[in-house]
Formats: sequence, structure tokens, C-alpha cells
Amino acid sequence: MTSASTPVAIAGWGQTGPLAEDLRSIPEMVLDAVQATLRNAAMGYEDIDAVVTASVDVFDGMTASNIAVTEVVGAVMKPETRIAADGLCAAIHAACQIRAGAYDTVLVVAHAKPSMSDFYELTKWALDPIFLQSLGIDFLTFAGLQAAAMAAEDKDAVERWAGLAACRLADASGDGKSPGSTEILQSALVTTPLREKMCAPLADGACACVLRRGDDSSPGRKEIRLSGLGHDLAANFIGDRELTESAGLERAAARAYADAGIKQPEDEIDVAEPSVAFAHEEELFVQSAGISDNTIISPHGGLFAGNVPIVAGLSRLTAAAEYLRRNNDLRAVAHGSWGPAGQGQAMVVLENAIP
Amino acid sequence: MIREGSIRLPFAYAAGKSGSTYLRALQEEQRILGSRCSACDRILAPARSFCPTCGDAELQTVEIGPGGVLLAWTERPDKGILGLVKLDSADTAIVHRILGSSDVLSTGMRVQARFGDASDENPEDSLLGFAPEVADS
Ligand SMILES: [Zn+2]
Repeated sequence: MTSASTPVAIAGWGQTGPLAEDLRSIPEMVLDAVQATLRNAAMGYEDIDAVVTASVDVFDGMTASNIAVTEVVGAVMKPETRIAADGLCAAIHAACQIRAGAYDTVLVVAHAKPSMSDFYELTKWALDPIFLQSLGIDFLTFAGLQAAAMAAEDKDAVERWAGLAACRLADASGDGKSPGSTEILQSALVTTPLREKMCAPLADGACACVLRRGDDSSPGRKEIRLSGLGHDLAANFIGDRELTESAGLERAAARAYADAGIKQPEDEIDVAEPSVAFAHEEELFVQSAGISDNTIISPHGGLFAGNVPIVAGLSRLTAAAEYLRRNNDLRAVAHGSWGPAGQGQAMVVLENAIP
Repeated sequence: MIREGSIRLPFAYAAGKSGSTYLRALQEEQRILGSRCSACDRILAPARSFCPTCGDAELQTVEIGPGGVLLAWTERPDKGILGLVKLDSADTAIVHRILGSSDVLSTGMRVQARFGDASDENPEDSLLGFAPEVADS
């Protein structure tokens, strides 16, 4: 990706959830997130040129899951694009539309409601119908296989992951309280070696943000810019991949860093908001994205506060933007991950900018 | 209020040329097939119609296994064990059921394919899974 001349800024954001079970309908949830976002950006539907939504039909129990939210995202009689992947990927596509000069202001919206059904049962339908579906394998089993591959040569790994989960659960709780490593290691077995409390709890929710063309005509006005974009898909057959690393994230991060002019990620990133649905994925993230101890990771517990599939990466983007709004002169990265054992990877670099 | 619903629709998934060859060999000959990509100089498991790395569609079908090495496995309560197995002479691994008790499993151990009878509707069931290699196998 070449460095783009048109800067892209994030003008506002909002969300609803994460809630273990939101009894509202999906359009009601999405409306709530969109209205919060427009208020936050001090905009109305009339200010939006185009909409990019992220949803997955099978998770919503219907086809054309984007059409069910057309009205509440304000997409009637407007250009709308749907991405059936993580919401961060939708944000990247919206940013590319602005960079390309197609639109000035794009609304990005993601939603999912895993409480509607058995979420992991649904993920079976994302897998190869000839070789995998008859085995009854799903994304949870793939997470277990990846964790098992990582733990095979590393006897302290599982204890380390319990410690990481304890940290994130404490950050997510708001009061700093969390189960200790021992309690986490004794929580219910999900799929070896993963225990219940090493897995970010599934939740319902919707998240949105407004991206707009960066404003170089108002010097001195602070804005938060998306300065680096990168995404990637790894091999489809899981046995074709080296599971103890994330080559997809390495490539996605390399693209985002090159785009943002980052040469040494270990020194140049202040905050990281990774999509860690299972504790071992934080180690994959740190290693593949070249993050060091100089970077604050998931200051509010990341997805351990509630893991809304599809929404996850977009909510990492808005969490990073929230952090930058309260600070000056910082740089953050937001990360999204989707598919079996993180087949899809997305990375966005955000920074405080003063045009 | 909640309206209960469900989606139940039968589908006919085409296994394709390579998938059909693979399933027929499993069912009729109890053999596991892979594909050699000469451009990439590697043997892909299971058999493919094209190389996912270079896109070459002129792959050579080769027999792999039936023995191999267990790369990783995960066990779910009530759902059995699934593992990643690198079959002999293959360069990539396949995912399949691991048979028996997890007490005896270890990463890097030798495993052997186990075959059984399968219906014409589900020829993939001919490969029951992989079990730790024992002296009498
Ligand atoms: Zn090839």
C-alpha cells in the first residue's frame, strides 16, 4: 500500500454493550450505537456520505443481515457496502473510500448477537464442507489446537496465559478485582489447554464510528487520524499454516506500519488494543506485531470485558481513539481478528495529529 | 418477547475433482491422498485441485501416510479429541479425530490412520481417525 495523500480522521464513535444477553432486536441495538456515534461526532444522518457495515448472515440467523439494519444506519438511498468480516476491516474499507476521494464522511457500523444461538456451533458453517464439517470442528476447537501447538514446546505457557487473563479480567472489572491464576487454572475445561476464564466471555453488542477526510484547512485543530491500514488473510487449510505464529498478523502489521511510517514498532507505539479472545492470542499479537514492554496493552481489559464477534476489532479502534482523545502526542494500534485460529487479521495505526 | 426459529435445509456439496478422488481412495482403497506441487516442491495434504500458494492446477496425486506425527491435539468435554497430524511424506498437516484416551497422547508422537466402513452418503467416515502407533499395528 502506498502512503496516501488524503488524511483520514475519526470524528466520533459510540457503542451499545457488551452485554451477555441483550433482549432488544438487532436493529434496536444498532440504532442505539449509531445515535450515540452521531451525537459524539456532532453530526446527523445528512452529514454521512456513505456507510460500511460489518455483519455475518449465519450469526444473525438470516441472509442479507446488513439489509435488516439499512434504515437504522441511515443507508437508505445512500451507498452502502457490507463486509462479512471483523468490523476493523470495515473501518479499513471506509478509510480506503475516503483516501480514494470517493466520499468525505463514512459511517462504519458492526453488530453481532451471539446470545441468539450457539455461536460456536454456527462457526462450523464457515469451514470446508468436504474435509472439516463432518468432523464437527468449530472455531473453539481451532483455538484449542493453536493454544496446544504453542504450549507443546513451552511448559510454562498455560500458567503464563492464566496470569495474562487475570490481568485483563482485573482491568475489565473496573474495580481491579479478578480471579487469581490458580482459580483461572481450575475453572471449567473448555478445550485443552484452554480453561473457561482464559476465554473472553461472548457478548452481544454494536459499535460504530464516523470517519471523515482529515481537515488540513483548519491548522491547530486537533484530530485523531488513521495513519496506517493493513489487513491480510492466511491460508484456508489450517494445516497449511504454522500455528505457533501469526504470519497473517505479521503481514497486516507490516503493511500498517509502512503506511504510517513506523520503522520500530517496539519503540513507536504507546498503546495497543488487540483483539484477544483467548489468552494465548495476546502472546501471538505481541510477537507478530513487534510490540514491546514500552507499549500499554488493553488498558481496560480489551475483549475480556465482553467479546462481541465482528464488533471486536471496531470496538478496539474506538477504545484506542478514546485513549488518544484524552491524551496528546500519542500513537496507538487497534487490531482485529476473525475466522478459524485468526485466519483474518487487520491492523490500524491511530495518532493524535495537529494539521 | 422472543420468537423461536431454526434453519434446516439440506445441501449437496460438490467435492470437486480432487475431493472426489480423495474420498473414493479413502472409501474403496483405505488410502489417503495428497497433491504434489512441483513448482513449490511440496506435498499438500489433503489432495487439492490447485496449490494455495502458487495457484498451479496441474498437481500430481500421491499417497501420503497412513502413519504420521501428532503436531497438536485438543480435547473437549463430551466432544472427543481433534488433532493436527502431519502424515508421512506430506509437507502440510490435516485435522482429524484422535482415537483413544488423551492420557497417552503427547506432541510429536507417532500415530496411525484407522479405517472403517462408510456409507456412500458419507464416504469421509471411512477414515475413522488416528490412533497412537502400537507394536501390533
Ligand atoms: Zn505451488
